[in-house]
Amino acid sequence: MRPWARLGFWLPLGAVFVWGLVVLLLREDTLRETTFTLMMFVGMASSLNILLGYTGYVSFGHIVFFGLGGYFGFYLLSQQGLWLLPAAVGGGILSGVLAGLLGLAVLRLRGAYFALATIGINEAARAFVSNFGPFGGATGLFVNFQAYQAYGGAGPALWTTFMYLWLVTLAVLLVSALVQGSRFGLGLMAIREDEDAAMVMGVAAPRAKTIAFMLSAFFPGIIGTLYFFKNGNVEPGDAFQLHMSIEALVMIMLGGQGTVVGPALGAVVYQGLRGYLLTSPLFKSLHLAMAGLFLLLIVLFVPAGAVGWLRHRFPRLRKVLT
Amino acid sequence: MRRLLYLIGALAVAGLLAGAPASAATKNVVIGFTASQTGKLNVEAIRQINGLNLWIEQVNEAGGVKLPDGTVLKFQAKFYDDESKKERVQELYTKLINQDKADFLISPYSSGLADAAAVIAQQYNKILISAGAASDSTYKKGYTLIFQVYTPASRYLTGALDLLAKMDPAAKKLAVIHEKDKFSTDVVEALKKYAEGKGYQVALYEGYEPGTTDFAPFINKIPAGTDAILGGGHFADTSTFAKQLHEKGVKAKMVALLVAPPEPKFAELGEAAVGVIGPSQWEPLATTYNQETAQKLNLPFVGPSVAQFTQAYQTKYKEVPSYHSAGGYVAGLLLGEAIRQAGSTDTAKVKEALDKMDLLTFYGRIKFDTAKEHGLQIGHEMIYTQWQKDAQGKLVNQLVWPEAFKTADVQPYRVK
Repeated sequence: MRPWARLGFWLPLGAVFVWGLVVLLLREDTLRETTFTLMMFVGMASSLNILLGYTGYVSFGHIVFFGLGGYFGFYLLSQQGLWLLPAAVGGGILSGVLAGLLGLAVLRLRGAYFALATIGINEAARAFVSNFGPFGGATGLFVNFQAYQAYGGAGPALWTTFMYLWLVTLAVLLVSALVQGSRFGLGLMAIREDEDAAMVMGVAAPRAKTIAFMLSAFFPGIIGTLYFFKNGNVEPGDAFQLHMSIEALVMIMLGGQGTVVGPALGAVVYQGLRGYLLTSPLFKSLHLAMAGLFLLLIVLFVPAGAVGWLRHRFPRLRKVLT
Repeated sequence: MRRLLYLIGALAVAGLLAGAPASAATKNVVIGFTASQTGKLNVEAIRQINGLNLWIEQVNEAGGVKLPDGTVLKFQAKFYDDESKKERVQELYTKLINQDKADFLISPYSSGLADAAAVIAQQYNKILISAGAASDSTYKKGYTLIFQVYTPASRYLTGALDLLAKMDPAAKKLAVIHEKDKFSTDVVEALKKYAEGKGYQVALYEGYEPGTTDFAPFINKIPAGTDAILGGGHFADTSTFAKQLHEKGVKAKMVALLVAPPEPKFAELGEAAVGVIGPSQWEPLATTYNQETAQKLNLPFVGPSVAQFTQAYQTKYKEVPSYHSAGGYVAGLLLGEAIRQAGSTDTAKVKEALDKMDLLTFYGRIKFDTAKEHGLQIGHEMIYTQWQKDAQGKLVNQLVWPEAFKTADVQPYRVK
């Protein structure tokens, strides 16, 4: 059966499509901003899931592709005068190519060694950027407020950025679902279960892993460019925050790794909760403690993530929740 | 039944109370901001909010700001925690403007976060007073509604060179060692330019990564015969740097470092703190900012005196105010003054009042650039402090520059 013949294939895509459409139609600025943060993390978690969920490689370096790709895209935009969309795609391509090159080296490592290497990459990328002249070194880059005029003013520019992010998020989910249902995806899952056995059975593990790594790196580069454009500036400290990598991992675990819906759901729940606690008058000062508590409860009682738990508990849902 | 009647009665009274206009001419002005209540910047950021809250409390107690049409404005703060991270700054500012109906905005603490907030403020046509953000680059972006309270980064250490020229006109050789982050890099780049313009020789110009703890490789590179060592970054690294300069017995006429020296905690370094100079936005000892000086400069003096502010802050928060506290207070003070002068809370009118503003407060002179770098602070001056030993051998932080604020003569760092 083709992957797109199943209802489960369309569920996350449809949900995000409707969600974005509603925001675009309502034209409510606060809603747009909240949704931007949420969608950004849906994109980040879902793209990381292509590597982590399907292939089973835990990467702490996902933010490198967000940071470096975003930096490059922002450079194209602010220094070379490129339009937002091509600049963002440029950032994505750089991230993808970089992942391809890095993958050749670090994907030979397995388990904890791979995870450690990815932390190192994060630090190396930050050190590189803060010494790299064209990227503004330690002070970073910025766009003049006038730059937004080209998009019809700051307001419309933020809406345009949001729309692009929405499309990118849809693209991530589409790719994730296509990979999951494909022969290539099955190869990745075989690697996850037992890499040696997979190779014996004819899966070209090094190539498959590298492609998965590149796919998972492409989208953060685009998202990074959009995010920095919206902020109007980029600095090394903001671009390579290890905690964002870790948060992306948490979202995947929360929602259910290796599923398409899981990471998206995890991102919405985790970031939604954080956002709610931050602004709710009752929890405003306790938000970090509350977020930590929820996380602890989930890890203790639902280790397979929300989607994993649902699939286990209600077998009928397996067709819908992929 | 009787109970029900009581209930209806109570509801009716409550309804009347709620419906009745509190006082026809009182209006609440909401000041919105995010503050780093948690995360790496929380100490400085909380002092900044404390300062602002003190101003709000005082202005409301004094009856608020009266507009010409008889409306009395009372101020109210509305804020969220930004966790010292940029991720949500724009989201929260959009919420503050659209949902919480903030009339005016104050920036978050630190330049990076303030930059993100500025985009939103300008977009929604709201005035944002930036406190706790020293970067110059924000004002090169063409904003018209962002106003800076702090002396910008480009002037943090230039005064130290003027001081050096006064100390020893023959001094020529400088070593600059700085943290490689936005703020410190901005500071030393401007410093280098200024130094070269004055004929100084920058013999060493090196940056270290944030989080550096071993400065030996940098200290060893300092050429012999260096007259002054300048640079540093933030509290932790600068303190360690000062300590290692002392341990290595480095000789120089002047050591001037960023951020850490003005902090009272710097005294914990003991001997290593002696002679170290630091730039500060404001010091409780700088009592020269008073009515008399204002008269001499032919400027209006607005707000409390240095002593009144320090006293009120100490009573409320049980700690000595730092320049972050003063910055927060002044952000509110300026806003209140601009609204009073404009006679309105209309953005365009208040902006005009801020553009024209040139006055003296306990925090110093305030004047904004209205030409190329709109909103940049051009009136306020840095004050330079130096840790010295008093007659009993106790460490005290003295003001050594500018001349007008001097509480003690500057001493050389270590020459022998």
